[in-house]
Amino acid sequence: MSDPLSELNPVTERRAIRVLRPDSPSEAVSLARRFKVPYMAGGTWLQPTHERDQCWPEKLVALNAAWPAFRGLEDDSRGLTVGALTSLSEMARHPLVREYLPPLALFLNRVAGPGVRALGTVGGNLAVGGDLSALAMALDVRVDVLNRTGERTLPLSRWLRERASDDLLRGFTIPDCRGWRISLEKLGYRERFSPTRATLVCVHDGDRVRLAVCGEGGLLRLVAPETFVNDRADLASGDVGAVIDRELAAHGWQDAHLRMALRRMTTGLLSEVALGT
Amino acid sequence: MELKPQPGMAETSVLERIEGRFGYATDQQHLPGLLHGAILRSRHAHARLLRVDTSRARLMSGVRAVVTAADVPGLNRLGIVVRDQPVLCEDRVRYEGDAIAAVAADTVEQARAALEVIDVDYAPLAVVDQAETAEQMSPLHGESNLLAREAFERGDTDAAFARCAVIVEHHYQTPRQMHAFMETEGGVAIPDNNGGVIFRVGCQSGHRDAEQLADILGLKPSQVTVEATPTGGAFGGKDELTIQPAAGILALQTGSPVLIHLDRFESCRTGIKRHPVSMIMTTGCDRQGRILAHRVDALLDTGAYASLGPAVLENFLDHATAPLYRIEAYSVSGRLVYTNNGVSGAFRGFGGNQATFAVESQLDALAEKLAMCPLALRRINLRTVDEPGSRGQVVRWSAPPTDVLAEAGASPLWAPAVSDARRRWLTGTGMAMGAQGNGLGDGLPDRGGGRVSLSAEGRIRLEFGFSDYGQNLAEAITCLVCETLGCVAGDIDVVLGNSRGPDSGPTSASRSSVLIHGVLADILPRWKDRVRDQAAVLTGLPCDQLYSGPGGLFAGGRQVLSYRELAEKGQPEQTRVDASQAFPVAPEGNQLVGRYLQLQIATVARVAVDRLTGRVRVTDLHHITAAGRVIYPPGYLGQIEGAAIMGLGMALSEDMPTRQGRYLADNLDQYIIPTLQDVPDQRVDVLDNTPTTDRFPVRGVGELGIEAVAPAICSAIEAATGIRVRHLPVDAGYLLAELCAQEETCS
Repeated sequence: MSDPLSELNPVTERRAIRVLRPDSPSEAVSLARRFKVPYMAGGTWLQPTHERDQCWPEKLVALNAAWPAFRGLEDDSRGLTVGALTSLSEMARHPLVREYLPPLALFLNRVAGPGVRALGTVGGNLAVGGDLSALAMALDVRVDVLNRTGERTLPLSRWLRERASDDLLRGFTIPDCRGWRISLEKLGYRERFSPTRATLVCVHDGDRVRLAVCGEGGLLRLVAPETFVNDRADLASGDVGAVIDRELAAHGWQDAHLRMALRRMTTGLLSEVALGT
Repeated sequence: MELKPQPGMAETSVLERIEGRFGYATDQQHLPGLLHGAILRSRHAHARLLRVDTSRARLMSGVRAVVTAADVPGLNRLGIVVRDQPVLCEDRVRYEGDAIAAVAADTVEQARAALEVIDVDYAPLAVVDQAETAEQMSPLHGESNLLAREAFERGDTDAAFARCAVIVEHHYQTPRQMHAFMETEGGVAIPDNNGGVIFRVGCQSGHRDAEQLADILGLKPSQVTVEATPTGGAFGGKDELTIQPAAGILALQTGSPVLIHLDRFESCRTGIKRHPVSMIMTTGCDRQGRILAHRVDALLDTGAYASLGPAVLENFLDHATAPLYRIEAYSVSGRLVYTNNGVSGAFRGFGGNQATFAVESQLDALAEKLAMCPLALRRINLRTVDEPGSRGQVVRWSAPPTDVLAEAGASPLWAPAVSDARRRWLTGTGMAMGAQGNGLGDGLPDRGGGRVSLSAEGRIRLEFGFSDYGQNLAEAITCLVCETLGCVAGDIDVVLGNSRGPDSGPTSASRSSVLIHGVLADILPRWKDRVRDQAAVLTGLPCDQLYSGPGGLFAGGRQVLSYRELAEKGQPEQTRVDASQAFPVAPEGNQLVGRYLQLQIATVARVAVDRLTGRVRVTDLHHITAAGRVIYPPGYLGQIEGAAIMGLGMALSEDMPTRQGRYLADNLDQYIIPTLQDVPDQRVDVLDNTPTTDRFPVRGVGELGIEAVAPAICSAIEAATGIRVRHLPVDAGYLLAELCAQEETCS
């Protein structure tokens, strides 16, 4: 393991941070646990967060995209597996994304800016409840996680509830969603490079509709609205608005105007998946 | 005439700026012995300072000096108009950016670490965070939090209102906007080894800053030199001193150069902002739409210190009188109050665009009540070129206002937009007009000078005191000089912003182009004569056969002497010509109010409003400008388009709200400025009817583009949705709620 003491960065001029560079994922887990320090992938979330708080960790555990299965996309019988250290821009241009998740490539244009997408990873985005988390939630992705007890695969929703600080996300698997109808939309403060006010995802898996949202009120699978919609024959006609509003309000979405926008956006996305456009 | 970008139009430095290669003052990291400075800012918006203990900081590794109020050698106050802001606070802090101490150390890291161990005991005081109640609160300065009250009156307003058939009254609110320049405040102070200091810094007036800095540093004016280096944007935000006083004191204490460069967080926290304005505007007209009466009651929050607040108030009120329109009687008043909400001051538009937002909205409101076309209402009220200005002063337009309006009425943007298949986006087109005066105005001292000489190397050297912060003055000067002398850009050196050179006055108030044109018109013919005289002696040719051209002096179509030869063989020092002139004001005898040189703009906006979320996209902006002759097309285009984007930000997303005197945004991920994806297609038309004999054919366009953008956007939103927004920035949630209410009413 290399363990150089990082020099004062001439650009950021911040205090020296010791960057630990483990040789393997298991070593990364043990270092994170031993020193109680965060993992760092692209750093696009950590850097501004630490800058704002003027509080920099003494150490970081640098993750290595060359570790097996940590980067890239592959499909097999389980579906599409995505390495956590795949950058957002790699994801956007990958042919398998066009095959499995056709609207995603265009959507990723609205996630951060080009520089951040080149560095930022899909795993990091999921871990902080970023734009991709609502899509992952709606698709019921399963995450591959390593920690001191070994490796396990579990639903994203469960991992987010139970995760430990030393959990290391290796990747996630999207079920075979070819043929599903997926619609998603981001509401920000401006056209590009905006914090997410809300990202709403609507998926029709051929049988049922799934709805999820992330943003100012947090990541949420819209269970009650899903039930409401799926119990109706005509997806586009149901007045799901009131149900959505209740669900959002009950789960921390305080801004009534934002809830109002989400009600109307949901209706729009439901129409899209109903019409198959 | 449409002004279109041409291939290769962008000057090299523009690309260097965009790509981050441009050398700013803050890039001078390799000066011998350079120390890095950092400034301790207040933790409270309002507090008594009980104790400032720097003893631990002085012992920190790498620390060379720690200074507090007691170490300010001269006047511990700064401010262009009112010197009320402490360089380093003595016993009280009035906003969260107030400076308490400063440190110089070998590295930035060490300087910032030293700030952490300066012990400060505060006794928090009641925070004055509401402009509306500021006057009832304990004063931040002197006897009252009312810094200024001003009123302009014309005629009997009450009587005029009594005759109105239609009266509209609305409340308007504009945001606290941040300049958000690419390069934050910074520069370096260098001891000159004779007890003086040289500043290389991004600023807007080297000469004025040198005067203030001499007072602060306890030096003679001759001991302070300011080199206003090209900076990555200023827009008014670098009009006041920023880091210079602290850097200068530290440089004198240590005898070493000291560089201070604020990071974005510190810049957001301490930098000057645009004045938020809350105003009630009442306007009335007769049945034919002739405006008879107009009343304005405005409140401007200037924050903790005066800065240029009183001048902003004056310009706000000037624009609140609706300078483009003939109004029988008005009563326009405003109050400027101190609060603990940061500091507000100069910002492109300088209070005028806040007023124009409301004035133009009022005209639309009147038109709606009269069921009249808003353009028709404007047409019958617009002044002619022969009429005096709204404050009775002589004014000089460069085109009839009705011509500008007619061009706006003919804009292609009025054609219905193609709607989306699902009718999600509601589209609409609207317009607004604006007037803007050049110069400091209202009788303020306003002069500027420049110099031309032939350098020892045979270069035609032009010197002005103006600063370049991205408007590319050097290119504009080069264009004018080439046009007059027949030379080429390669013959010319332009030197800007040195306080040892000619004093051109501040780079503000859209005054640079006017003065540059005026001064060049004076000095270049004289320089030409001197050069020809010398060339005649050297060549033996008659003076009247010699003329300047590319690379040198010509006779009969052939170069007879290069500029280099002239410099080597002649007396280049004898070619130097200086001139200074007063900024053009109304002819003698006219009252010194308002501004003489007037510009106009009409902005037509097309927007799309999302029916589902209330968000607004501005898809097109078409500006019709009447601002005199275009001397440097890329500069003109850049100023109008750039200012319009700032207006777009003010209209749609930019605001710096406060809570308990603290800004709620601290970086550009929270303070939302438009990105290129938010910028609409823009078209800039030029309407110039100034005769060739006009004494002032060139006007300054640094601020014009922002003037009418916000009301034009709100007018377009109303056309799209039927909803008028009067509080900026536009709140998508408000729009959505109103849209929903409309739908419920309709269903």
